[in-house]
Amino acid sequence: MAVPGVEQTILRDPALFYWILFPISVVMILTGILRHYATVLMNTPPKPASTLAESRERHALLRGVNLRNHACSVLDRESFEARKNYLLNGFRSGAFLKDPNNRGQPPANPMTDPAGMEAMMGMLKGNMMMMIPQTLIMSWINAFFSGFVILKLPFPLTIRFKSMLQSGVMTRDLDVQWVSSLSWYFLNLMGLQSVFGFILGSDNAANQMAQQMGMANPAAMMNPMQPGQDPDKLFLSEAENLEVMEHFCILDGVEERILRNFAPVVN
Amino acid sequence: MGGLADAEVNGSDVLSALRLSQQAPAILGHGPALNALAASSKPPRDTAEEYNRIEQLFLACLQTGDDQSAQACLDRLSHRFGPSNERVMGLRGLYQEAIAKDKSALEKCLAEYETILSDNPVNVPIMKRRVALLRSLQRPADAISALIQLLDAIPTDAEAWGELADLYQSQGLGSQAIFSLEEALLIAPNSWNIHARLGELLYVCSSASSEGDPARLAGKSVQHFCRSIELCDDYLRGFYGLVLATSRVLDQKYAPESPADPTVPSRKTIQQLQTFALQRLEHIVQSRSVDDQHWASSRSELIAAKELLNRLAPPK
Repeated sequence: MAVPGVEQTILRDPALFYWILFPISVVMILTGILRHYATVLMNTPPKPASTLAESRERHALLRGVNLRNHACSVLDRESFEARKNYLLNGFRSGAFLKDPNNRGQPPANPMTDPAGMEAMMGMLKGNMMMMIPQTLIMSWINAFFSGFVILKLPFPLTIRFKSMLQSGVMTRDLDVQWVSSLSWYFLNLMGLQSVFGFILGSDNAANQMAQQMGMANPAAMMNPMQPGQDPDKLFLSEAENLEVMEHFCILDGVEERILRNFAPVVN
Repeated sequence: MGGLADAEVNGSDVLSALRLSQQAPAILGHGPALNALAASSKPPRDTAEEYNRIEQLFLACLQTGDDQSAQACLDRLSHRFGPSNERVMGLRGLYQEAIAKDKSALEKCLAEYETILSDNPVNVPIMKRRVALLRSLQRPADAISALIQLLDAIPTDAEAWGELADLYQSQGLGSQAIFSLEEALLIAPNSWNIHARLGELLYVCSSASSEGDPARLAGKSVQHFCRSIELCDDYLRGFYGLVLATSRVLDQKYAPESPADPTVPSRKTIQQLQTFALQRLEHIVQSRSVDDQHWASSRSELIAAKELLNRLAPPK
């Protein structure tokens, strides 16, 4: 353990700063920027529905949710019941499904389904974009700079931070303020978000815009269903939610409410 | 069209559309720099806002008959997003409809839409253009069936439900129109304008003898106007409608003196509501008449409200 009250001093070569601390930071920032642009380039926007039936399958669920959430502020009992029965029937009988004949069969294997395959490729690409540079840089640091103590923090810290700040330096007695090169890498990895935000504008301004214009109708592009999920199951659970719903209407008594809340303003 | 939600120009506001389209040469960067806006404008930025602005400008130019500027806007949009972008396709369709000289040209547009839709059946902007075109070709029945097809695929599009309601109403199908507007409200439950619109629709239906129970419709109309006022407490249309609907309820004696059901308002409540609505309407009309320029776009509403107030004013 470090002796309390005694300042540890380590004489560091100033070259450590120029040849380790500085290069690591610069490399981390550059890879971050590179990764951002690579992601923008390789990003494939979600595919819109290609047939009317597919689009209906995507939106039917939203319609149920809308009815459940908003019925109380719009509908009276009669029209609510009518809509509820219509949607319940549709959900139960599978009328909203893309092809009702396939109902009840196990969902297609995502490996053979081209749409699922594409979605998985997208995820894979995103993950690769994170994994590969990190592995490379970490092994680079491990090979060249492992075991250096390169920085002293200007403030004291508790012992718990030791594993975070001094990875790669197996010294039990070293004060927690000292930071090793490998830890500096980790700190950069986690802490550069705001720097990227500063350099790249609001992080991903470029790809957001292309998407916005692409969406003629935001609702039409939205896909509430994840690949590999069985829409039939979602519909059935939504039907259950609808069925147990208790109807009330905030329009009942709105006349008195108006008089109570607004009339005194005038009088 | 989509994306008009944050519009600085809405379809009925011809004055501001005109003002915007007069700035078109300056905004588009050719022609003499006429005003301060052009002087301060930086080189065009590649942002979503910029392109939204150009789209707005395009619509305003079409509305005011400045087809050349509209063409320039359209060129810029399709240069950036490619001619096969769905939204750009929709705008191009709009442009072609606007410059069409006669009915046969419009028919040609329609045929073009059909081909586009046979390639990609879920091209939403083109689907909407087709409905609008069918409507302007005086084929409301076809427009309704096309719109129903659209809504079957995309039942969460409030704009389309509103249009369907309007089409139904133009065909005199009151209860279908009410249904459609209720669907639109389910998607956007806090929009006071749709609430007021539904109130108007219910009011109209309650006067037509063929529709179900006029007392119930008139009562619901009052409720929706109330809700609209609750959501926006200086909404002129809401107060105007409330005055009319409460008068209907009072004149036809729909409201019971002492209701058995607590949710049904008594005659006294309705009377109070009417007085309240009249007071507020008068207040709004007075304050807006002073600040005339600011409310220029809704001048017709103001005139109608004044006329109603004069009609209902107690004889002195």
